[in-house]
Amino acid sequence: MREGRLLRAIAAPWARLTRAQSLLWARKWGTLVGFAALVIFFSLLRPSVFPTVQNWSNIIEQVATLAIVSVMVTAVMVTGDFDLSVGALASLAGVVAVDLMANHGVPVMLAILIALLVGVVGGAMNGLLVAYGGLSAFVATLATMTAYGGVALLYTDGATLFSGIPESFRWLGQGDVAGIPTPVIVMLVMVFLAWLLMEHTVFGRRLYAIGGNAEASYLVGIAVQRLRLAAFVLSGFGAALSGVILASRLFSAHPQAGNPFMLGAAAAVFLGATAFREGEPHVLGTVLGVLIMGVLGNGLNILGVNSYIQSILTGVIIVLAVLISSLSRRR
Amino acid sequence: MRIGLRLPFLTLVAAAALLAACAAPPPAAAPGAPKKTIAVVTPYVANETTKYVIDRFRKEAEARGWQVTVTDTAGDFNLLVSRIKDAVTQKVDAIVLGMGDPAQMTQGLEAARQANIPVFGIDAGNAPGVLVNVTSDNASLGKLSAETLAKAIGERGSVIMFTHDPHPGVRARAAAAAETFAAYPNIKVIEKKHIEVPGPVDNARKITEDLLTAYPDNGAIAGIWAGWDEPALGAVQAALAAGRAEIKVVGVDGTDFAKAEIAKKGPFIASVAQDFDAMAAKTAELIGAYFNGKKPESEAILIPGKLVTAENAK
Repeated sequence: MREGRLLRAIAAPWARLTRAQSLLWARKWGTLVGFAALVIFFSLLRPSVFPTVQNWSNIIEQVATLAIVSVMVTAVMVTGDFDLSVGALASLAGVVAVDLMANHGVPVMLAILIALLVGVVGGAMNGLLVAYGGLSAFVATLATMTAYGGVALLYTDGATLFSGIPESFRWLGQGDVAGIPTPVIVMLVMVFLAWLLMEHTVFGRRLYAIGGNAEASYLVGIAVQRLRLAAFVLSGFGAALSGVILASRLFSAHPQAGNPFMLGAAAAVFLGATAFREGEPHVLGTVLGVLIMGVLGNGLNILGVNSYIQSILTGVIIVLAVLISSLSRRR
Repeated sequence: MRIGLRLPFLTLVAAAALLAACAAPPPAAAPGAPKKTIAVVTPYVANETTKYVIDRFRKEAEARGWQVTVTDTAGDFNLLVSRIKDAVTQKVDAIVLGMGDPAQMTQGLEAARQANIPVFGIDAGNAPGVLVNVTSDNASLGKLSAETLAKAIGERGSVIMFTHDPHPGVRARAAAAAETFAAYPNIKVIEKKHIEVPGPVDNARKITEDLLTAYPDNGAIAGIWAGWDEPALGAVQAALAAGRAEIKVVGVDGTDFAKAEIAKKGPFIASVAQDFDAMAAKTAELIGAYFNGKKPESEAILIPGKLVTAENAK
């Protein structure tokens, strides 16, 4: 009898929640709870390995490149557009940077800057096609994805570039500052800048306005097309930055090395859109999405789960997250 | 209405002219016989090895006065089928598959068979419609690399294998390697991991990092066997970054970047090079014989591999 009372006391705050409130709660925090559940699950199964500082620094380093692409792609997805070309653009930027410094004697910093410029130009091209050419983002970036991927293959003649890379290039992908890996620092800076830009500037709020209703945004005087273009430029820049870091990390440039970023970034943004608020993409959600995918891959590897099953589980988790979010919104 | 039609029409004409300008000029026919044309189709040129063997084959073929076109579908097997059909439509004299599993191209192969165009595989695999496949003896590559690793770790300890079963060659290597390891009573294969393509270096690096975390003690992982050189490179990078240089890594293919890494005498101790020069030469030889009316004697020609270690890596 005493247990019964205790139970009621514990359950009381929950019992008071109406159905609508609990749905709201699930909508807001469900993805984070899911992430926590994954972490707890892996920690319980491999307590001496998974929840260690070393493993977590590993995970964070592993997701750094994907996080940089993803937070920048978020800008495009906030406006309701889509960018399929980020993977190809990352690959292209990586081979351009490495080729310039290894085969043409271009100083490392300059080679990196030129590679980033390639990303910016590639992004701008996407933006022009979508905002001013009137193509749907899906069609335009599908085309440029193929074209940029082709340029990377043509540029390298399909080969992997690995010889003659200056040692000083290693720092960007493999170095550290006070023990924190450089890619992680770059990631933190990019996440912070992206968050600041999207959540705390007029520019960012306008991107959300466009995503909410482009027509209305235009009518209230927002330069819709120019902002959509700007979002694609950000996305291209993020892709190029990741591609260059990846090339430094692998200390070689492969014309398709960055291609997996495209699906990874899309999945991260979709997962992230289910977190914290009304089903729209946002930077911190994307970071959570990237972390979920990173933890899932790492944890399943540590458990020794079959690689094919890992792919299935990743798919299932994305579907579940988005499904729960959309069902809870239907109320 | 006239004006309405004129612009699209002009655009079309302009586009056609542009395409015509871009297209290669027709080959100057050799006196006497028309020049033989060969279509090389591959899903994988962005792979160091495939690129090398196709380049070698092109040289061999062009030295014989044949005209060679190479089409890469960047991993897309469906598109590959279309490209084979295109080659059939163009009535080429022979089709060469540059790697890739022919079992995934049956439709294209069927079209070639109906048109009586011979299909030669370079390291592709055997399937109905493939006249002959010239390949490394993948089983011997897997065996040789696994034996080298087994010796290097003193015939004892835990081994991790990096595989890619959808590729028949890599699959055969892995099967032979697993068999080789099983013959050593003190060697245990603790993990078999599928490596994703594209992005095999980064993928292998991440998986290795995770496994190094899962098996943190020095000596908990004695060696890593990779089905080809790219995942071996990723494994080496992860081992070095984690300060676990005692782990021995072997790859297969003997690519240039692998040789460069092996020459450093680090964790990357060996790779087994396929003899691509011999493979390309043999394929060209078989095609030449076919043009002279002689069909290959067997449908699989196996070329043995060469071990690359710090001694002979440049």
